[in-house]
Amino acid sequence: MRTAFRSVTGLATALVVLAGSWTPASAQAPIKIGASLSLTGTYAALGQNQHRGYQLCAKHVNEKGGVLGRKIEFVLYDDQSQPATGVRLYEKLITQDKVDLVMGPYSSAITEAVANVNEKYKMPMVAPMASTTSIFKKGRKFIFMVQSAAEVYLEGLVEMAAKRGLKTIAIINEDTLFPKATVQGTIELAKKNGLQVVFVEAYPKGNPDFSAILTKIRAANPDVLGAATYFDDAVAITRQMKELNVNPKMYGVTVGGDLPTFYQLLGKNAEFVYGATQWEVELPYPGAKEFLQAYTMEFPGRDLSYHSAGGYGGCQVLVEAIKRAGSLDGEKIREAVLKLDINTVYGGFKVDEGGFQISHKMVTFQWQEGKKVIVWPDELAAGKALFPTPPWTRR
Amino acid sequence: MGVIITPAMVGQVVISGLLAGALYSMVALGLALIFGVMRVINVAHGTILMLGAYTTFWWFQLLGINPYLSLLVSMPLMFLLGAFLQRSMVHRVVDAPELSSLLLTFGISIALVNVTQYAFSSDVRSVEFLTGSFLVGPLALSKSRLISFAFAVGLTLFAFWFLQKTKLGKAIRATSQSREVAMVCGVNVQRIHLYAFGMASALAAAGGSLVAVIVAIQPEMGQVYTFKSFLVIVLGGAGNYPGALLGGMLLGLVEQLSSLFLTTQVSEAVAYVLLVLVLLLRPTGLFGGRST
Repeated sequence: MRTAFRSVTGLATALVVLAGSWTPASAQAPIKIGASLSLTGTYAALGQNQHRGYQLCAKHVNEKGGVLGRKIEFVLYDDQSQPATGVRLYEKLITQDKVDLVMGPYSSAITEAVANVNEKYKMPMVAPMASTTSIFKKGRKFIFMVQSAAEVYLEGLVEMAAKRGLKTIAIINEDTLFPKATVQGTIELAKKNGLQVVFVEAYPKGNPDFSAILTKIRAANPDVLGAATYFDDAVAITRQMKELNVNPKMYGVTVGGDLPTFYQLLGKNAEFVYGATQWEVELPYPGAKEFLQAYTMEFPGRDLSYHSAGGYGGCQVLVEAIKRAGSLDGEKIREAVLKLDINTVYGGFKVDEGGFQISHKMVTFQWQEGKKVIVWPDELAAGKALFPTPPWTRR
Repeated sequence: MGVIITPAMVGQVVISGLLAGALYSMVALGLALIFGVMRVINVAHGTILMLGAYTTFWWFQLLGINPYLSLLVSMPLMFLLGAFLQRSMVHRVVDAPELSSLLLTFGISIALVNVTQYAFSSDVRSVEFLTGSFLVGPLALSKSRLISFAFAVGLTLFAFWFLQKTKLGKAIRATSQSREVAMVCGVNVQRIHLYAFGMASALAAAGGSLVAVIVAIQPEMGQVYTFKSFLVIVLGGAGNYPGALLGGMLLGLVEQLSSLFLTTQVSEAVAYVLLVLVLLLRPTGLFGGRST
């Protein structure tokens, strides 16, 4: 019975394949793009945002007639925010669901885990939500980075400082993988821009008291203070800088400073603080306005973050690569991605030979009157930086 | 890459250390009370501190009244919660092996943290009341920390006076010295356990209300304070109440000075190395064991 069933399905498949080659393009089966996303678990909120980006992209591409004359269709699973589950799902997508291509999951951790799977099957994967450099420095050939790396989070702060003739910088960081990479990158950038690094120190995760470290910074008296943070620490450091009267001419944080809660918690004390972000709603990238409108129409009341735009932009990259390759062959698409130099709703996209992103720009903003005003890079800036930051006693 | 350390910097961190230390002392005194009277290590002590901090947050958020006045609410509330926990659960493990009390209070702590998460979400909150500092020469004295320090010292002194001078206080000390003798002398030991747990919880709540104006508030904030309090009572000698006071100050200073001379990364390690050394060399605590 089972054999009979198999041969019937086999025959049917063969028929579909044969039929496919005769029917007009629009009637062909859709191109299947596989991905697992964190729809539940720790990263659920962010994974869902990315999911909506993928969905909206597919909708828009199909409205315009698809690519290679075929519609695209996402085959999506929930990896529950677990790298191991992600690995299993990508195996399933490629070997059982026989998807044509894959897109990346959410987070560096899960991307790092599943990157070995698509690599094994030589299937290209555009990975929009992984910014840990090491993933792209392991000689893998089929994974492509979309957003900026940890190393350049403070590039804007450093460059703006150098332009204003500042000379010295102090850098502090939470002692974990991502902020550490930021510090390494910032030291390089400071050297390149002629800033002298006068103080570097890490603090443990969850540290609530920065008195001693800030006392040392006050003594080092740097022109600029850069902090590679997550969120709690960004808030605590800012607060305690006021308590200890630490007054650099510029002070910037990395992750966490961009959240509305940052300002809600700190109120006026968040004024003048610089922050870094991968993407903001008002950035004038091509199609960004339309993306925003369509997103709010399609998902009314749902959260929109850079994860949504990154998902959409990453999908745009893949579709463009398919178009240019004119084929679904992994090697050909890889070649096409490596040659791309385009702008998506998420910003610039161009990768080096290893798939490492070299075009996407982090933007630097400054909190001004309760709003994030983009102040760097110049071509994207919406306003001027308020410089220098006045001492706490004169605010 | 570091900086040259000047006397002014040392002065600054010594002040920070003492300001933090007074809070540690007060909170640890609560833990010492419970351990002294019941031989129970209360892992939920920091959790009660967290609830005290939330009380202050909501007080300030909803009523907009001076957050320091919330002590008048948080302390009695947590006294009642503490008494309730003691009467309903903890009293069952008073004479059980230590592991039972650890497990029970650990369970209570997890339950309370999760209920808080459910009720208030894990969003970080803060009470922005007094920020900034008084500048005295090269020193910056944080306003909120100074006021919290003053309250902590006041409350701790009051607690000591209470233990030394009042009848109930004497009964508590008697019970912690020897339960049997206290019982023979007519002390209602069950009642003393109840009061001690309530008082200890009130001290934790006061700690919570006072740190609420200094650091960010979230459901898991209490854990660090449980650990620190534990460190303090080991340094000071378990069950030794003045020892807890000195231990708290010592911990505050050690943390700050090691962050200054070494790095913030190792300051925690330094505190725990000190703990191990004390356990090895002077198991009864730096300031002598409990008086017998």
